[in-house]
Amino acid sequence: MQSLFGRSLHIRTIDTGSCAVCESEIRLLAAPHYDLHRLGFFFTPSPRHADLLLVTGPAVRAFDQAVKKTYLAMPEPKIVVAVGACPLGGVYSEDAFVHGSLEEVLPVDVFIPGCPPSPLALLQGLLVAVGRLAEKVDALSFVDDEAGTGEW
Amino acid sequence: MSREIEASRYRANDGVEYLRVGMAEVEGVVEDMTKAGTRLADLFGSMEDEELVIRLVYGREPEPSYAVVQWPVRGGGYPPLSEVAPAAFVEECEIYEQFGLKCSGAKGLNRLVVPPHAAPDFPRLAHRPGRQAPPPHAPHYVTGEAIEFPVGPVRGVGQESLYMGLVTSGEELIDLYLMVWHKHRGIERRLQQLRPQQALFLVERAEGLSAVGNSWAFCRAVESITDVMVPEAVERTRAVALEFERIYNHAASLAALCQATSLTVGQAQAEVALEELLRLNAAAFGHRYLFGVLAPGGVTRGPDVGVIRERFTMAVDELRRVAAALRSTNSFMDRVEVCGVVSIDDARRLGLVGPVARGSGQDLDTRRDHPYGAYRDCRVEVPVRTAGDCLARMEVILAEVETSAALVTELVQAGLRAGSVDLPPAAGAALGWCESPRGESLVWVSLDREGRIRRARLRPASARNWRAFDDAARSRNVFTDIPIIEASFWLTVAGFAR
Repeated sequence: MQSLFGRSLHIRTIDTGSCAVCESEIRLLAAPHYDLHRLGFFFTPSPRHADLLLVTGPAVRAFDQAVKKTYLAMPEPKIVVAVGACPLGGVYSEDAFVHGSLEEVLPVDVFIPGCPPSPLALLQGLLVAVGRLAEKVDALSFVDDEAGTGEW
Repeated sequence: MSREIEASRYRANDGVEYLRVGMAEVEGVVEDMTKAGTRLADLFGSMEDEELVIRLVYGREPEPSYAVVQWPVRGGGYPPLSEVAPAAFVEECEIYEQFGLKCSGAKGLNRLVVPPHAAPDFPRLAHRPGRQAPPPHAPHYVTGEAIEFPVGPVRGVGQESLYMGLVTSGEELIDLYLMVWHKHRGIERRLQQLRPQQALFLVERAEGLSAVGNSWAFCRAVESITDVMVPEAVERTRAVALEFERIYNHAASLAALCQATSLTVGQAQAEVALEELLRLNAAAFGHRYLFGVLAPGGVTRGPDVGVIRERFTMAVDELRRVAAALRSTNSFMDRVEVCGVVSIDDARRLGLVGPVARGSGQDLDTRRDHPYGAYRDCRVEVPVRTAGDCLARMEVILAEVETSAALVTELVQAGLRAGSVDLPPAAGAALGWCESPRGESLVWVSLDREGRIRRARLRPASARNWRAFDDAARSRNVFTDIPIIEASFWLTVAGFAR
């Protein structure tokens, strides 16, 4: 896993209706106290470069399209980390505005509970997510089974 | 003013004056108020006994009182108030979206929180019986040499979702418009039928970065209805929490300003101060963002005074060092000066509040103008600047950090206590207010006979101040100035879209 990602894992963040506090904690991940770069994590402004999608908020229905487009734009293997109580359904119950749980929209790999989860909790969640990513990488086949003729 | 209007005036026990008028008098009242320079603070509707009632809230500074003008809507419309008072425009759009009622006159309204792809049954606060609200529209054309450059709704790291349509001819910004419906969670609708104690959970989460400010305004409205007196030492505890919230928000704004100007060293230093302040919040009150501290009738927990004495000055000193360093960094000062100007006229016309208004010459602060809680016994210095640019707003927040620090010391010395008074069951309606870090936060609550919320109107300062953002962005700025202006406004989309 380390050799595959070369201690360089890129994170894209997306807000699906948070109260702005989770965003504040995510911004602090890059601050001197936590400095996620030392662990090989980096933020990226493009989903095309992202390995990990960090999602906050209760999955507002009006935002579905943007969430799906962001997820689809990410290359495989990719993981989704849900931040806070909102995507767990702990703040808003399901109704006409929100899905209630992020799992209705995206395949969530890791939930980080807390309202908001502190930056240390976020770091721990990210490290757990790296383990999940490693599993996904192991399961990935690098041989094109369909072609199978060795022509390319 | 006619005799009938005079007769309908009455003053409630919380210092708010209520005026009941008829549809025909509304325009006259609004004209009189606008001519007299009274500040329009809010405009909202609520369904009461199958009838839509619209309320205007005026702040009558320097007089320490609010005036609530209310009238029942009969027939299909109301006079276009924003033609006289531009500060009412966003709320007119809101009433159209939520209640399907359009003011007379054929002006285009903007889209606020109802998504463009919303089905007709998209939940709103109320529909007028027998009529479906047509979808609101914002005719928007970009022609000639200009193009529209879309930014968002998914934005950079740790930024809230927001769509910005930047209209440009290349580098200079000609126009900017915002879409916030991606974050609408229908909080005001969810609050209906809840008890105030349950509702507080959602009120805090309407705008997490102003949790104390908004929930204090909410608690004051509820306490006003139930006629509860909160002990002074408990009010002081609330005030300490509010000043803590103000200081950490100002530190965060400063860090964001540094980030927007690509000053990474300054950003890191401001973030060190911010993290220290958040840790102090957690050590003193048990939550980094002070959630769950306030409760209707009091506070749930008292702060650890020893921790405040030991660490507060140190954390604020850290922030002071950053501020001093920034003031002597010319490359930074050049970026914030004459950037994102909000004129004094615009600030008054649009009814802005908080540091944004104070940076544009508006001498407003509810802590001083409408004293409440512990602020009745404190002298609150209100820093005002007149330039209206990012630098003026930065100077205001830095001066406010000093006032807040002095207030915290004073309040801690006077003694703090935890505890809360039980709310007796009571029906009625009242207005609550509080000076959140972003400015005046207003909450209007109406309780039914069982003590459940009939209507709760939240008006965080963000809901007020975003309307000046396009004016500030247009004032001869280029693309790269937009993040700087956003950081100096330091508003949340969450509070606007609710």
